[in-house]
Amino acid sequence: MRVLGIDLGSREVKIVLMEDNTIIHSMKVSTMSFYRNYCSYDGKIIVDLKKLNIHQIDKAVSTGYGKNNTDLLMFTPINEIKAHVYGGFYQTDLNDFILLDIGGQDVKVVKVEKGITTDLELNEKCAASCGRYLENMANILEISIEDMSKHYQNPVELNSTCAVFSESELIGKIAEGISIERLCSSVNYSLYKRLLPLLSKFKGKKLILTGGVASSVAIKKYLKEDYEEIVSIEEPQYNGAIGCCYYGSKFL
Amino acid sequence: MKKIGLTTTVPVEILIAAGYTPIDLNNIFITSRDYMKYIDIAERDGFPRSLCTWIKGIYGVCMQNDIKEIVGVVEGECSNTKSLIEVLELRGIKVYPFSFPHSHKTKDVEHEINKFMNLFNVALKEVEVIRKRLNEIRALAKEIDELTYIDNKATGFENHLYQISSSDFKGDISAFEVDLKKVVCEMKNRKPINRKLRLGYIGVPPMTPDIYAFVENLNANFVYNEVQREFAFPRSDEAIDIYQQYYDYTYPYDTQFRIEELKKQINVRKLDGIIHYTQAFCYRAVADIVLKEKLDIPILNIEGDKLNTLDARTKLRLEAFLDMLLDLKVAKK
Repeated sequence: MRVLGIDLGSREVKIVLMEDNTIIHSMKVSTMSFYRNYCSYDGKIIVDLKKLNIHQIDKAVSTGYGKNNTDLLMFTPINEIKAHVYGGFYQTDLNDFILLDIGGQDVKVVKVEKGITTDLELNEKCAASCGRYLENMANILEISIEDMSKHYQNPVELNSTCAVFSESELIGKIAEGISIERLCSSVNYSLYKRLLPLLSKFKGKKLILTGGVASSVAIKKYLKEDYEEIVSIEEPQYNGAIGCCYYGSKFL
Repeated sequence: MKKIGLTTTVPVEILIAAGYTPIDLNNIFITSRDYMKYIDIAERDGFPRSLCTWIKGIYGVCMQNDIKEIVGVVEGECSNTKSLIEVLELRGIKVYPFSFPHSHKTKDVEHEINKFMNLFNVALKEVEVIRKRLNEIRALAKEIDELTYIDNKATGFENHLYQISSSDFKGDISAFEVDLKKVVCEMKNRKPINRKLRLGYIGVPPMTPDIYAFVENLNANFVYNEVQREFAFPRSDEAIDIYQQYYDYTYPYDTQFRIEELKKQINVRKLDGIIHYTQAFCYRAVADIVLKEKLDIPILNIEGDKLNTLDARTKLRLEAFLDMLLDLKVAKK
C-alpha cells in the first residue's frame, strides 16, 4: 500500500511517500512554489501529483497550519499535533515523551502518555521563538544558519522580546566587538530562553525534537539540561509528513 | 427538622435517625447561580487565593445560609477541611466530628461509627431502619447508573446529577424518591444514544459540569462517574450493616483500595479512556501518578479552579485526547 503524506509548513512543504510502512521518497518544496507551481484551485486546492512525479497513491493525508490551507482535494486532513505525535511514534517507537516541534513560524509542545496526547501548548501572538528568527539573525551576522547553530558557549544576553528589535540589539553587540562565535551563541541562547516558559509545564524524561530547528547543535545542548534524554530522530523536518503517512496506513 | 451541614459524605443514616435533615454544602455551592459570591466571602475572611475552591465555597455557604451545625470529617479528608472546620468553630458553628480511619480496618470503622451514634444518641436498630429506607432510594440511583452504562439511555450529566444528589437526598427523602421514580420511568422510554467513545470520569466532582455536554459533541459519553457513584453507595444493598457499608466505600481511604474498584468498573463498563479531574491546589493531583501507573488505560488529567465552565486550554486538551482515542478505537476494530 502506498500512502502519501504532505505537511504544509509556513516556509516549506514536506512530502513523504511510504510503501508498506517504509519511506521510499521524501522531498521539500518551498511553500510559495508549492502553491504556485504544483497546485490549482477549483473550489478546493488540487495538487498536481504528476508534476511532483508521484504516482499510484492508495491514500493521501495532509496536515499543516490552518484547516483551509491543508484541505486538499483527495487528501484527508488531520491536525498538526496529531501528525507530529504519529510521526514521533513512527520514528522512535516510544509511547511516553514530550515532543517539541520548532518550525518556521510556530512552536508546539506536546505531552504524550501511554500513546495518547494529554497536553499541548502552542505559541501565539509572536513567532520570535521560531526558525524565522534564526534565519534573520544569521542574515545579520552574514553566516549560514548551519554554522551559527554550532555555537553555544559564553552567550551574552539579548533581552528584546521582539525579534525585530533583537536585530538592532545584535548589531549593537557587534559594534561592541564581541566575537562572532559568542554572538552566534547569544542568538541560539535567546531562542532557547524564549522556549523555556512554554516548556515549564512539560516536564518529562524524554524529549523528541522535531522541525527545522531540531538540527541545531546549540539548542540541543541547552535542552539537555532540562530533560534526561533528547531523542534524536532521523528526519526531524519530515516528522509531520511521516505522521500523515503513519495515520493513513494505520487508521484510514 | 433541624438542618445539619455536610462537607462530605458521612453516615447520614445516623443523622436522619437523630431527627436531622442533612444538607450537602457542596451541592448548595455548586448549584448556586452566584457561586462566586461564596468564594469571595471566604477570600475576604482570609482564605488564601491558592486554596481549593470547594473549601472556600463551603465556607461561604455556611456564612450566608445560617448554618448552625455541621459534621466535620477530621480523618479521611484533606488537611484543608480540618482547618476549615477550625475556622467554622471560631465563627460559632457547632461541629460534630467524624472520622474515616486511615487504618481502614473493620473494627476501627465500627468504633468510629459507634462513637458517631453515641454523639447523636441513637441506637443501631434505629439506624438500620433508616438505612433500609435509604437503600430503596439508592436502588433507584443505581438504576439510573445502569441506564447509563448498560442501556445507554441516561446521559453522563444525568448520571452525575442524580448520584451526587444522593449524598443528601436533596434534603427531602420522599420528594427525591418521587423525582427519581419519574426520571427512571422517562429514561426507560428513551431510545439508546450510542456514541463511539465510552469514558470514565474519576476524581472529585467537577467545578465545570459543562464537561459532560462538551465530550458528547466529540462523539464520547461518560458512562462512569467514580466519586459521584461512591456518594450514592451502589454496594449498600450487599452490606449487612452500616459498618460494612461505610467500610466498603472508596472515597476516603487509600488509593490502592480505590484502584481495585476502578479496575472492576473499567472492565464492566468497557471504558476506552479516563478523564481524571483534580481541583487546583488539591493533594489528590498527586494520586494521578499512582493511578496512571496502576491503571492500564489512557488517562487525561484535567484541573479546575474557580471557573464553572471549561477554559479554552482544557477544551483543546480534551479535543486532542479524544481525537486520538477515537483513532485507536477505530483501529482496534
